[in-house]
Amino acid sequence: MIRILLHLILLLPVLSWASAEHGPVERDHIEAELVADISAVVPGQSFRAGLRLLPEYGWHTYWINPGDSGLPTTLDWHLPQGLSAGEIEWPYPQALPIGHLVNYGYEGEHLLPVTIDVADSLEPGTRVTLTVDAAWLVCEEICIPGDARLALDLEVVAGAGDQASRHAELFERTGQRIPETVNWPARFNTEGNSLSVQVVPEDIGIERDWAFFAMTENLVEHAEEPVIVAENGQVLISQPLSPWMTAVPDELPFVLVDKAGNRAWQVTATAGELVSGGALAEPTTPGWALALLLALAGGVLLNLMPCVFPVLSIKAMSLVSGAGHDQRAHSLAYAGGVVVSFAVLAGVLLALRAGGEAVGWGFQLQSAWFVALLIYVLFALALSLSGLYDFGTRLMGMGQGLTEKGGAKGSFFTGVLACVVASPCTAPFMGAALGAAVFMSWPMAISVFLALGLGLALPMLVLGFSPALARRLPKPGPWMETFKQAMAFPLYLAVVWLLWVLARQTDATALALVLTGMVALAFALWLGGKRASGESLAVARHTAVGLSLIFVVATLASAARLDGGGSGLPDDAHWESYSSERLDVLRADSNTAVLVNMTADWCITCLVNERVALNTVAVREAMTEHDVVYVKGDWTRRDPAITDYLSRYDRNGVPLYVVYPRNGDAPRVLPQVLTAQIVIQALERS
Amino acid sequence: MKHPLPYILAGAAALVFSAAVAAAPQVGEPAPDFSVVDTEGNVHALSDYDGQLIILEWTNHECPFVVKHYAPGNMQMQQRRARDEHDAVWLTVISSKPGSQGHVSPEEADELTATRNAFPSAVLLDESGDMGRAYDARVTPHMYIIDTDGILRYMGGIDSNPSRDPEDIPDATQYVVVALEEMAAGEDITHTVTRPYGCTVKY
Repeated sequence: MIRILLHLILLLPVLSWASAEHGPVERDHIEAELVADISAVVPGQSFRAGLRLLPEYGWHTYWINPGDSGLPTTLDWHLPQGLSAGEIEWPYPQALPIGHLVNYGYEGEHLLPVTIDVADSLEPGTRVTLTVDAAWLVCEEICIPGDARLALDLEVVAGAGDQASRHAELFERTGQRIPETVNWPARFNTEGNSLSVQVVPEDIGIERDWAFFAMTENLVEHAEEPVIVAENGQVLISQPLSPWMTAVPDELPFVLVDKAGNRAWQVTATAGELVSGGALAEPTTPGWALALLLALAGGVLLNLMPCVFPVLSIKAMSLVSGAGHDQRAHSLAYAGGVVVSFAVLAGVLLALRAGGEAVGWGFQLQSAWFVALLIYVLFALALSLSGLYDFGTRLMGMGQGLTEKGGAKGSFFTGVLACVVASPCTAPFMGAALGAAVFMSWPMAISVFLALGLGLALPMLVLGFSPALARRLPKPGPWMETFKQAMAFPLYLAVVWLLWVLARQTDATALALVLTGMVALAFALWLGGKRASGESLAVARHTAVGLSLIFVVATLASAARLDGGGSGLPDDAHWESYSSERLDVLRADSNTAVLVNMTADWCITCLVNERVALNTVAVREAMTEHDVVYVKGDWTRRDPAITDYLSRYDRNGVPLYVVYPRNGDAPRVLPQVLTAQIVIQALERS
Repeated sequence: MKHPLPYILAGAAALVFSAAVAAAPQVGEPAPDFSVVDTEGNVHALSDYDGQLIILEWTNHECPFVVKHYAPGNMQMQQRRARDEHDAVWLTVISSKPGSQGHVSPEEADELTATRNAFPSAVLLDESGDMGRAYDARVTPHMYIIDTDGILRYMGGIDSNPSRDPEDIPDATQYVVVALEEMAAGEDITHTVTRPYGCTVKY
């Protein structure tokens, strides 16, 4: 008898496996049930079904990446003809600490839903049975595997109506935890024994209470909480790698959770170096269209910038007053000048990028000589507007000064000039939009630049092609002289701003040189504008103008020479400036270790890393305590010595962090996203 | 730096935390030393096995993943092959702390060996968990190979199918078996670190 009972008991699981169970079933420490969000199936209308699990208090099951141990729950569907099931749509998990490990899973009642597609051919009035083989691992401290063959009968009905089941609310609640799949730009990197992820959440802002879950198994050390920093439009995540990681995947799917808003997004990051500029984007077509639109609007706005408006308003006047000219031809030539200039700039930018330079818009402002040149051009324009010299009519509309013959050629060069004077204004205002263009494929990037140029040219084009509109402009008259003089002042302000830029790039000496150059320029223009009153005087005048101009050019050359001189270290700097000689000296000293930080002002990741890690008190103290010399290389301007250093680590961009141990061991590259802990640990081991 | 205190605290916490997390041993480096009693009260240390190949197997007889490999005889087969064909020392380690799942008395451990027809050289009772932590043993089963020079050559899972289904054992790569054969043939080991899967060790 006992033997028979024993056999029966042994057979029980087999029996229960063979015949599917309806409704909730009890297994060790867990209740399981196959449920749907509808109470009746409608042909052609997909619905959701899912495994409802209710582990006992303190027990849990697992997410698709179970963490340091455990197994994800599996579903194997057996569906009648006309129904088909998708993959599990995993709600985002909880991090569950188990001893010194962390698992990703679910406690309490939870649901693993799938979408069931329904064929049109299903007959109303019939019944369908959904069957699923579910297998799970339910764990507390200890783990119990469980499985069940679960079934659900549903009627097929013809029409719509209220078919919500009593589990609809559970589906609703679970739905909020299912990440929305998005294609936000994202990169990841496993340098320095740490996972570094960079992602740009589009359209939703970054000021959120973020949580991060890697979906790839066996990649990160789940027990170490990821460090998440959100700044400048991007979210940076750092989590140590698992010592059991065997291979770096090409792609990393992960889930970002807004803990406060109870929303989640699933993003896929591609392997590679983190992007150092303001934006990383592999824009989709709508993104591109939007960028084009923004660039066009931005271009129109540029007309109002202090460095552009004075020039263009006067150009507009000349267009109106020169009623006899062919206004269309003028405005077309002008637009051509603007667009061609922008195309040239885009070409230069892309060529530099192809050469491996991590340049952003405003790169032209990284050269002190270019800034100085702009200062002179704008200053000369302003002086002209103020009426210091009498090139008045010749320079009216600026570019026309280049070609006294006037005509289309003059307008073309006005366009070029507009682009040149616009560029200092674009740096602060258009930086972000153009930053994105830098990371676009080249046809997209060029198109964005062209759209910007077209936008800049647009008002003049409209004026040229709409005589009605042009007529509505105020009639020419003496007021134009006053207006012209007033317009000089925004230009002076633009000059002040550029002088400030120059001062930041170089030093007081260069600033003094350029200011002297400005005086010489003013002198030359003033003298040059004076009417000659005698042969010998004219010679003297020309000589003086010539000498002054030579002096101006000389100051420009000096500024260029000072370029790269660099600004001094702030008084409280806890670093030294990089030079390869200094690094060699430091490495030769067996008492000190060295931390090298290669950075740039335009590298947002770099700045974030400095703020959250390198400049913290804890890291500074660790540097002192462990006798680590902190060496910083500034790549804001392309320093060939730093480019050379980067290339030794197969890099063509920043950031790069390297620790040289004091015992002369091989240098160690740190992750691209730093935390204070990562740096301190690296310093301890140096 | 307006508020240095939070940074100092964060830094201090980071230091404490970093000290608490033992670094995993490195393949290619000398294996961590240990000194643990077996079921007969003998102390086993790494240095006792100079010149011998050692296999370490973390176990917990109640863990479903351990049962997966003992019930069909896969683990016992590997123990026999390692000891008979490769002249290896097979040490089965139990790091469950007293009172937790998988903790056994010396007698129970010997009985488990007998009833399961297992073939370890010795079963080590690492009640303090010191040996387990030194090796960063996380789950059961968790496997390690130490070569005749005391260098760690393999660490990771028992096989390549992280599941609890014994039926998939024949399809899986049995990492320890493959590594031992590669070592015997003088070849490089293909898989030196793999994902250990199973139940957490009950430290």
